[in-house]
Amino acid sequence: MFLVTLDLADSASTSRVRRAFGVVFSPVEQVMRVVTRPLGNAWNAFREYDDVVDENDRLKEQVALQEGATVAAAASVRLSQELLALNGLPTLAGINSVTAQVIGETPTNFSQTVEINQGSNAGIRVGMPVLNAAGLIGKVTEVFGDRALVMLISDPDYALSVKVVTMSSRTPVTLPPLPVEDTPTVDTVLETTDTSSTSSTSTTTTTIKGFTPGTTTVPPEVVAGGASNITVPVASQLAVRETGILEGRGPGTRPIVRFLDATTRASAIEVGAPIVSAGGSRSLAPPDVVVGVVSRVVERLGTAGPVLEIDLVADLSNLSFLRVLLYQPITESEK
Amino acid sequence: MFERLLRVVASRWFRLVLVALVVLALQTTLFSQIRPFGYAVQILAVFVACAGATHSVQVGAVVGLVSGLMYDAVLATPLGLTALVCGAVGALAAVLVQPFRDPAWWMRVLAASLAAAFGEALLPVMKSVVGLGGWLQFRIVGVALVTFFGGLVFALPLLTVTRWTLRERIGRGD
Repeated sequence: MFLVTLDLADSASTSRVRRAFGVVFSPVEQVMRVVTRPLGNAWNAFREYDDVVDENDRLKEQVALQEGATVAAAASVRLSQELLALNGLPTLAGINSVTAQVIGETPTNFSQTVEINQGSNAGIRVGMPVLNAAGLIGKVTEVFGDRALVMLISDPDYALSVKVVTMSSRTPVTLPPLPVEDTPTVDTVLETTDTSSTSSTSTTTTTIKGFTPGTTTVPPEVVAGGASNITVPVASQLAVRETGILEGRGPGTRPIVRFLDATTRASAIEVGAPIVSAGGSRSLAPPDVVVGVVSRVVERLGTAGPVLEIDLVADLSNLSFLRVLLYQPITESEK
Repeated sequence: MFERLLRVVASRWFRLVLVALVVLALQTTLFSQIRPFGYAVQILAVFVACAGATHSVQVGAVVGLVSGLMYDAVLATPLGLTALVCGAVGALAAVLVQPFRDPAWWMRVLAASLAAAFGEALLPVMKSVVGLGGWLQFRIVGVALVTFFGGLVFALPLLTVTRWTLRERIGRGD
């Protein structure tokens, strides 16, 4: 009990004991891994061959379907990252990462961890977020020289601040066409030296200090107010971000999100809404790392507020290559 | 000095550490992959229970504490938690066979399997006691059942291993 108390208080001495034992145990484990690999492979072949064949067929079909979408998505991501960088906002692209391979699953039934083949020698530290190709999968909890343990997002001890991005149910405001006399002209917007208009287009030549004079073509309906209505998205129609805490609930059970603001209405959350990490100085992960989507909204009685069940985008039962972001949260670096 | 070192190396407790290292390596490699119905067979718990079933309550408890401490060192659980549980497993296995004057091999196998299954059910309870909640779920029943049947399969060879590991050589000062 003394040792348990020491370890729960993050004692340095228990960490040293773990590290020392890790040094002794690691070679034994590696030898045993080599020796038992054929047995493990035989077991997997016996148990999972049919599933693998079915999955392979299904994945081939999915790959064919998604090839086109991937190109468009990659372009959007690139554009988004450029915009974020342009505005000085943090992006994942700006954080270095280490690629690691899963070399072992948890040997117990009461923890959700995997072992990876990179450790402190590669710059990995406790608390760093871990992703796979789909999204966030967990965080580093123990680091040795050339290996580390990663607690999965489904472990009941895992908690992360997240935001739910959903669209407001309010309808956009459609403004009537402005009277021509009230319509702002380009002249009032730009410092204009010479303006000539035609019936179809308005051509404005501008001279702005530092710029080579150019030509800007503006569609007539914008300049004249025209006959078209202008749809203005009200602020609340833009993506609404509800902040909450994601908690793991063990294997085979979906993680949940509890809201920080108990007044959040369940009707404001849509099934399928994406869940991303909230970020912030004390968060375990940088902002906007994809975690999952809302699969069910559970309304609770009283003032407790709704709880969301989450479908994780990463398949935690089939992890192979992972990416450890070299981003250590302040809360973990203090330890 | 050298003779004392030799005595330590030749002692059954030193042998226990070496054998437990191998069993632990089996647990973290082969038995973390082989998961009947999604549950890992806890071969280390069966090993500890076998030590209790072939020896006394004290020996069972000490083997459990040592093996559990080693298990804790490779897991992310608080150091000492699995040691407590494994200590209880070793002691329970010994208590289960104590009423019998000369228990048959199958009684020891049964006792070891029952004790190991009990240990698997006890672990989430102990985790909750120290504040690591969330594991008290219905799946404990599945985990205990898989460990029990795993014990029935693996206890017999492990009984032989624990007998060899913990045998005392008369006159060697163990």
